[in-house]
Amino acid sequence: MSGLGNICFWLIFTAAGLVCEMLVPRIDALVCGLIVLLQERNFKTLVWLLPLFVLLQEGLGSRPFGGSVVWYAVIVLFFHIGERFFNSGTFVFVFFLSAACGAASYALNVLMAPLQDLEVNVQQLIDSSLLQAIFLPISWCVVHYLRLCLPASSQPNPVKGENLHKIGV
Amino acid sequence: MLVIAGALLIFFLGMYSWNQTTHTLDDLSTDIGLEVGGAVLSPVRAAQDFLGGLWTRYVDLVAVREENEALKAHVATLETRLLANSEDLAELRRLRILLQVPVDNNWRPLGARVLSGQIGPNAVLNTITINRGYATGGRPGTPLLTNKGVVGRVLRASAHSASVLLMTDPGSRIAIFTQDSRAMGILHGNGAMRPLTVDFVPRDAGVRRGELLVTSGLDGFYPKGLPAARVVSVEPSNYSEFLAITAEPLVDLQHLEEVLLFEKTGQAPEVEENATSPSQFVGPPKPGKARRK
Repeated sequence: MSGLGNICFWLIFTAAGLVCEMLVPRIDALVCGLIVLLQERNFKTLVWLLPLFVLLQEGLGSRPFGGSVVWYAVIVLFFHIGERFFNSGTFVFVFFLSAACGAASYALNVLMAPLQDLEVNVQQLIDSSLLQAIFLPISWCVVHYLRLCLPASSQPNPVKGENLHKIGV
Repeated sequence: MLVIAGALLIFFLGMYSWNQTTHTLDDLSTDIGLEVGGAVLSPVRAAQDFLGGLWTRYVDLVAVREENEALKAHVATLETRLLANSEDLAELRRLRILLQVPVDNNWRPLGARVLSGQIGPNAVLNTITINRGYATGGRPGTPLLTNKGVVGRVLRASAHSASVLLMTDPGSRIAIFTQDSRAMGILHGNGAMRPLTVDFVPRDAGVRRGELLVTSGLDGFYPKGLPAARVVSVEPSNYSEFLAITAEPLVDLQHLEEVLLFEKTGQAPEVEENATSPSQFVGPPKPGKARRK
């Protein structure tokens, strides 16, 4: 179950994420997977899953390649900055991270639009950024609990941080 | 830390510039992203349709009898109208043969199912995803329509899925003419749920409110004669020599389920073999010769 179970979990997560993106337009439903993987320090999975996320988001989108790379890089950066101030396994951390991600989503779209010769619909952008900020903690809770329900052998052990899998601590 | 950040930034900008010229990463992400996305979303859409069909066909049958009667009356009206127009159609065929106007048969219609609207954070344009790609008739540039009118054209395609730029997107441009006054113009979008605009129509064109806008085929993307939009308002522009025309799409772009692709077959237009060859075209006399006489 361990290796294969982990791969199956993330593949099912990716498919479910795409269905969520189909139902709620203009949000990134896969980003909570990245946060969970960073919390678990599961870099082996991150190595193959992150490029897949990038290719999926870029392929399904309508912008030239590059936006998702910056978007995920910013999330990794925010995660590492936030980790210095909070315990990265807590809901409070994810809540602040999602607020920062919502703001980053708006800023990145505004910055990338002139570079890619696209018009910016400010209202639509604010709506999607807010949706992103609201969606992230909810989806994180779901994925986090699902990971806790999995057999322990399918999850890699966190290197540092003792209570990474405890919510609300 | 700053050195690493700088190196990453330079690497990203280099990759971005390289991709802008070669489109390698765009093509790769389109092939993988759209293909995987289409493969995941197709069964979901099929299940959604199945459950929706179960509900509408077997459970939600309120007012079906009344609707059936209204539809029967509508069919009868349409049949009468079809009979009345059949003579005009026959006349049009005869005139086309007489004038040797070739029938545009180099477009082949193909059905496609809409998989979803905008997906993901990168879907900044007004797009939909369909279950046909470049291997199944949905090459980039292929026009899409429904029984009511034009929808848009294929923007990016993988082998079996494609994303379609809707006509309401600000980047969409369609060469059109007005059906009655035959004035040419360019129809462009202003975003979802916003009226379309028609540019470059002269002030003396005589365009009326409610007039139909049909594709002229001059943009090379859409076949000639497809209904695209209906004129909502016409007034002289305050800023240019043209009319300020707004229009609305004929198709409800928010609730699309099935669409029709018009694939180019590459066949030359047919010319009737037994039709008499036209007499030599004689244009107006050259100005110089006329003056000499």
